[in-house]
Amino acid sequence: MSLELLSANHAAATAATLAGRANAKARGFGGGVYPITPQTECIELLCQQDFADEHGCEKGEIVRVESEHSAMAVCIGMSLTGARTFTASSSNGLAYMTENVFAAALYRLPIVMMAVNRTLGPPWNIWVDHGDTLALRDAGWIQFYCEDNQEVFDTILLAYRLGEDPRVLLPVIVCQDAFVLSHTMVQTDVPDLDTVRRFLPDFELPHRVSEQPVTVGGLDFPRETEVHRRQHHEAMGRVPAVYRECQDAFEQVFGRRPADAVQTYRMDDADVALVAMATTFSTVRTAIDAARARGIRAGGVRVRMFRPFPESELREALGRCARVAILDRDISLGLGGVLWAESRACAREGAIVQNYVVGLGGGDIRPRDVDAMLRDLLARTAAGAPEIVEVGS
Amino acid sequence: MPELLEIRLHGRGGQGGVTCAKIIAAAYASLQKSVQTFGDYAGERSGAPVRAYTRVSDAPITDRNKVYEPDQLVVLDPHLLGPEVFAGLKPGGSALINTPQSPDALAARWGAFTIATVDATRIAREHKIGSRSVVIVNTTIAGAYARVHGISLDVLRKTYAKLGLLGNFAAAEAAHAAVTIRPAHAAASPAVASGKPRLPDVLSLEAHVASPPPALKTGNWSTQRPRYQEQLAPCSAWCPAGNDVVGFVRALASGDAEQGATILGRSTPLAAVCGRVCPAPCMDGCNRAEYDGAVNIRALERFVAGQRGVASRAAAPSASSRRFAVIGGGPAGLSAAYQLARRGHAVTIFEGERALGGVLRTGIPSYRLPRDVLDEELGDVLALGVEVRSGRFLTSDDVARLAGEHDGLILATGLQELRGLEVEGADLAGVEQGIRFLHRVNLEGNVALEGHVVVLGGGNTAMDCARSALRCGASRVTIAYRRTRAEMPAIKEEIEQAEEEGVTLMELRAPSAFLGDGRVRAVELREVELGEPDASGRRQPMVTERRATLECDQVLLALGQSADHRLLPAGWELRDGRVLHADKALPVFAAGDLATGDGTVTHAIGSGRRAADLALEALGIDVVPFERPDRERAVPATEIRFDHFTTRSPAFATAVAAAIRRTNFAEVDPGLRSSFEANRCFSCGHCTRCDTCLVYCPEGIVRRADAGYEVDYSYCKGCGICVTECPRSAMEMTDA
Repeated sequence: MSLELLSANHAAATAATLAGRANAKARGFGGGVYPITPQTECIELLCQQDFADEHGCEKGEIVRVESEHSAMAVCIGMSLTGARTFTASSSNGLAYMTENVFAAALYRLPIVMMAVNRTLGPPWNIWVDHGDTLALRDAGWIQFYCEDNQEVFDTILLAYRLGEDPRVLLPVIVCQDAFVLSHTMVQTDVPDLDTVRRFLPDFELPHRVSEQPVTVGGLDFPRETEVHRRQHHEAMGRVPAVYRECQDAFEQVFGRRPADAVQTYRMDDADVALVAMATTFSTVRTAIDAARARGIRAGGVRVRMFRPFPESELREALGRCARVAILDRDISLGLGGVLWAESRACAREGAIVQNYVVGLGGGDIRPRDVDAMLRDLLARTAAGAPEIVEVGS
Repeated sequence: MPELLEIRLHGRGGQGGVTCAKIIAAAYASLQKSVQTFGDYAGERSGAPVRAYTRVSDAPITDRNKVYEPDQLVVLDPHLLGPEVFAGLKPGGSALINTPQSPDALAARWGAFTIATVDATRIAREHKIGSRSVVIVNTTIAGAYARVHGISLDVLRKTYAKLGLLGNFAAAEAAHAAVTIRPAHAAASPAVASGKPRLPDVLSLEAHVASPPPALKTGNWSTQRPRYQEQLAPCSAWCPAGNDVVGFVRALASGDAEQGATILGRSTPLAAVCGRVCPAPCMDGCNRAEYDGAVNIRALERFVAGQRGVASRAAAPSASSRRFAVIGGGPAGLSAAYQLARRGHAVTIFEGERALGGVLRTGIPSYRLPRDVLDEELGDVLALGVEVRSGRFLTSDDVARLAGEHDGLILATGLQELRGLEVEGADLAGVEQGIRFLHRVNLEGNVALEGHVVVLGGGNTAMDCARSALRCGASRVTIAYRRTRAEMPAIKEEIEQAEEEGVTLMELRAPSAFLGDGRVRAVELREVELGEPDASGRRQPMVTERRATLECDQVLLALGQSADHRLLPAGWELRDGRVLHADKALPVFAAGDLATGDGTVTHAIGSGRRAADLALEALGIDVVPFERPDRERAVPATEIRFDHFTTRSPAFATAVAAAIRRTNFAEVDPGLRSSFEANRCFSCGHCTRCDTCLVYCPEGIVRRADAGYEVDYSYCKGCGICVTECPRSAMEMTDA
């Protein structure tokens, strides 16, 4: 292991490279890539890597294509032949890729994609907003939202082990916040290839295309689709248990334990909870510390895995809290925050669950902003409609 | 160091502030600190104010906000200094500023803080760090940071090595040594802004019906400005006559042949001549040659002259008019006479032959330069009032007398000495100087040849001899040349046309004897090998002992000419184109081949023009003597954006079929029928109002104005995109 000063974009590319090389004795590695701010640095670094095995044989290729739609198509083709695959995208790029995002999952291909969360345009905006990947929540992919650079790195490796597990066989999207992580450099623990090999076994796709040409994804009749959707949903249902096995294995190999699907902060005696995803939660921690110093028993809950939705873990984490603030850096227009819409039923009956949509378009959510929301929540006698909180630039 | 050290950097897009923050972070990381570093990213381009941040701590860093209350500031651009930069700086904080000013000069405003200054821009510029237009100061100022905040040079060097920046370390060391530090002054009160500025209201998208200019005058971000700057085009730089080539071609492209003629007339009276016989160095210089073929400028010059005579009118004689004698009526003498006469001076040309023209009449065959064309341009010169005394070759006594009778004298007698060959049989009948042969053909006509004619040489005279020999009845013509075709000084098209007409080229052959009994019947040729390049850059011919004889009936020598100085009166000495007598400068100037020996019409025109200017200057008349432009200053092809131009092959006129033209002296080249070829001109260094700058300006603040464009500098950030995209290098960046 070594500590490298890396941006989270480069951390993701480095992790993908190691995962790819770890599969060199099997069916190699590849992917299609297309640049988009703020993800471009990731694929730039990836394109500079070579994927030869110890004999110098080419065991992979990153294909530079003309669009995100084709980038995912390349991943689908490569994955169908049994290769480990990776791509990265963001925002409107993901929107353009969407048809094949669904296809990858419906083919049950454990492709890993790093997504840098960026506001959808127009008008154009390059800063963080979770709406781009949350729009893909029904695409059949496993979704993680990361809080720091090391977590981005670790989650890429975890994603391969989890998605490639024969009980799962699902693609995984690993999300990180635009610029707050993607372009921020911190020391990142980078393991060596042999260690990564111990964590990632050779990938074997049971339904891979072999010597005999076949058509994949032809036509399903209603009866078949019913079964395929049920199978897909059941595989999602197995993810939490398999993820816990992956956490154990990861800890055994690398000596640190990746965060749970739902992570808590100072929740043991909390009677007011703040729920958030990704780096917003870092600021939530600071605000909680300050509130605790004022005698308020506040705690935090971070939803790290958004699909499959960790309903029981979230219910357990929120426990008996009477007041819950759910912070969304996204908005389902005409409804409210997506995280709020999905989690509000996890609070105990009678709790005041208030939604704050904050930091849309990438404004810097500061501790004082979170504190203001906390004060608003504590002053309420009942939950109201979702609040859109403006934090400026 | 505080528990959590927060550093904020202020710079402009392109100065490398984000990398500077990274260097600082990496240095602390190597000191076993936890670090975090990031920049503000935006849609802004070069020149926009940019912030970058670095946090340093002994504990893991979990704060993911921007830095609002820094402990330290680093300011890469002194023009940014103001309340916004110092906003939130903690009491006791420090600011490192890139400026030539001393910290004391800034103390009045910011003296409550530790102020350190260093002229990183100068140091970075001295170490040549950055691009052609922008000096990049990040790696330099980081050296000053290390000094101010106690990071050792050793740690810094290792950091630069790890980041692959060692090439810039010398500049960092220089800044480390040069930085000046002024400790905080307790008495001073901090002048920092507090509170969050109120953000402007945001209109709804439907309300954005108009697009008023934003109140933010981004022009004050700029350190550089674009400017429309005419630059020297290579065609003009390469023209020995000093023609404004790009000017007349552009005039043609805009459909104004009149204007093209006026432009040419400033520098030459002989456009119809040069449009036919010039070797066209302008086309060698043409940047389009690097793309899809040089513009056929020679043909365009002929086109202009075909529309209207280029010679300008004479100024009226005045009290300041002087009298000049020009000796020699060739292109140099004609050019000198033209330049003098059009300024209203009285000029008399003395020509030995019966008619004016010099080599244009005696040397160049009429199939290249029809005599009516020549006579018409000569007539235009004479129409300025130039007098001619012809038909008598002068003696040195005549020259001395004429010098005394005139205010100035131009000697333009050309190259009268013909290079011979001192080998066995050189005096045999049938061995003749090519120049004499051409003289006979051109002035007497009806010269008949028969049998096999061998021409020795590789210049234009050799080609003229060979092709004239065919037209005079030779059954076969062979050119023997001691180098290869590639080294032939003749115009490429002349060589090609000679071959088309049936002339045989023998390369690498040098004559060593002429054989025959009274009359030549064979020439002995030795094989030549090429050795090392000589002073002219051409490979030296090395004559071997391998020899063969080539039977022939006539030999024409085209081996070169040199100046004949016998015309100079006793005691006169020619030095740098000026005649001296007993070290005293006389008002006598040499022009053309007598002065320079360059051997082309275009050189002669430029030389005659310069001699005329010098003669006027010597009389105290206010002129700026013509000087050949410096080719090094011309816009190089690398500055032309080829991708703005669609490829189109050059236009050439279709010559008369070889089988027909070799039987007579009618003009071979019919010339272009239109001036469409002028549209291929890149217009190097000369704005054509193509709108590329306007289209590419990301701010939309380049606007059409009467003469060209105007840039709204109150919004121009100095990003340089207009300059980068200008297809023809007619713009440049300058300091704001």
